[in-house]
Amino acid sequence: MSKKAIVVNKELSNDIVLQVDNLSIAFGGLKAVDNLSFNIKKNEIFGLIGPNGAGKTTVFNCITQFYRPNNGEVYFRTKRDKVVNLVGRPVYRIIRLGLVRTFQNVELIRELSVLDNLLVGAHIKYKTGFISHMLKTKKARKEELDNRKKAIEVLKYLGIDHLKDFLAAGLSYGILKRVELGRALMSDPNLLILDEPAAGLNETETEQLAETIRKIRDDFNSSILLVEHDMRLVMNICDRICAISFGKLLAIGTPKEIQSNKNVQEAYLGKDD
Amino acid sequence: MAIISKKIIKDIFFKTSNILPKPYVNYLLFGIILVILPYIVNGSTLLTIGSVIVYAIAALGLNLLLGYSGLISLGTAGFMGLSSYFASYLTKDLNFPFFASLLISVFIPVILGLLVGLVSLRIEGYYLAIATLAVAEILRRIFEKFIAFTGGYVGKTADYPNILNVFMLDREGTYIILVIFLIVIMILTHNLIQSPTGRALLTMRGSDAAAQAMGIDILKYRLIAFALATLYASIAGVLYVHFNELTYPTIWNLGLSLNILAIIIIGGIRSISGTVLGAFVVYSFSDLILKEIPFIGEIPGLSNIIFGVLIIVIILFYPQGLIQIFKNILKSIFIRKDVKASE
Repeated sequence: MSKKAIVVNKELSNDIVLQVDNLSIAFGGLKAVDNLSFNIKKNEIFGLIGPNGAGKTTVFNCITQFYRPNNGEVYFRTKRDKVVNLVGRPVYRIIRLGLVRTFQNVELIRELSVLDNLLVGAHIKYKTGFISHMLKTKKARKEELDNRKKAIEVLKYLGIDHLKDFLAAGLSYGILKRVELGRALMSDPNLLILDEPAAGLNETETEQLAETIRKIRDDFNSSILLVEHDMRLVMNICDRICAISFGKLLAIGTPKEIQSNKNVQEAYLGKDD
Repeated sequence: MAIISKKIIKDIFFKTSNILPKPYVNYLLFGIILVILPYIVNGSTLLTIGSVIVYAIAALGLNLLLGYSGLISLGTAGFMGLSSYFASYLTKDLNFPFFASLLISVFIPVILGLLVGLVSLRIEGYYLAIATLAVAEILRRIFEKFIAFTGGYVGKTADYPNILNVFMLDREGTYIILVIFLIVIMILTHNLIQSPTGRALLTMRGSDAAAQAMGIDILKYRLIAFALATLYASIAGVLYVHFNELTYPTIWNLGLSLNILAIIIIGGIRSISGTVLGAFVVYSFSDLILKEIPFIGEIPGLSNIIFGVLIIVIILFYPQGLIQIFKNILKSIFIRKDVKASE
């Protein structure tokens, strides 16, 4: 009970966007995330790494409320500079606060064109309801036109505007990853969560991705949290990294600090005898 | 000669579609064809095509629900029946004007539908099928037993609509009202599926996770889809009773709900024109074509066998429905010509 009182009065220092406090979740007897705490600063690219099954995606799902954590709080600084606790909020409300995610295996809609898939990302921007949509009122038409323009701009930004009318069903994995990134950008997030953005990409595509992620941070004025297996990418673009193993924190620090950390090396390579 | 006439058809097709926003022209042209149709084809076609239109409207609603939100309702007939009884009761017993009765008769099933949806959709999508099936069966029993209101097995009558006390419609006039309702509903549905709401429904069907991550409230959009399906079914019910002048319990059984489902599968899921095509196949094929063929037309239950085979063939080879074959033919006429011309 006393904990809830703290929630309301929680003050984050001005440069922090996301604060994860003592996060824990267990599935049956298995502790997938165990008392994990870290924070993400404004305009920071923050990496979450760990061996397979370390609980990285589970942490994501706890932040975005796809899973309800058993314990712990997730404080988030919204677009309007208000600090809120995300825990307990409905999943579909999270994006309105300024936090948006992509998925490990792309979750796009096959029957929709690339442009329409991006417009799905702008869902929260629409103020008109379904009755105005049926009647195609002036306001609804204008809204649609504005969002369409914006979607084309985002597609141009990602270099895939020539594919806007193609159905998502027929495109290559590398392109789809970029479309999904574009969909996330449509909501003007101030924290973008990327779940393995480089999975399934070849080397050139991964290099381009690194460039794109940096550009997004600067141009969209957004912080980025990413889970990734490609160590080269992570070490290359992240400002700070949090390494976890079996749901427990190993270390937080700059890429250099993480690389030289004994615990991290042990978790990845095994113990030296 | 053939080439020239094809060119003319093509020109007319593309020019008219350039003047007005394309889909609207197509729908309006289709409406005009529907109005003329009974006068070209002889015999008692007006009743048959009128029924086709009524069932097409209900099927459009179900297509919105099944095709776009991935949910299924087995209570279409129940909701149609409920609105038909209300329309009959209000216009005949209470002397309500047509439009006022239409509003009330449609409003009540939609509210009932929303309640059923609120209870069942919270759990899992497929509970809607079970809940609507139960509600439809309960409604059918009520139609049979609540004689004071429904007339029991004999049913209840209604007149052709009397619009604003100015137009006392006959059967032909009522038929035109049916066509107008169908065309307006086709256009509104067309607008909806191309709008953010349509995209939200498709997203929900494709991936629950993506939908929620993009801010789509799944319960809300499921309820919208189901409410619209109920709305269309209720409008169809009201139009049915005014066009046929009669409603009785045995029409509104599970078989009808399944036939409306068959319309969608045969015609084309997620296709407006496909739904209408499907309604024509299911509800006019046996009356207008099969019965005209000597010997074969006299075999009882033949149309059911044909539909059964048709559904299997379509699911196996044309999952997009008959409309896909239709579109392929149109494409081969118009597009191959262009390629040849450019060579």
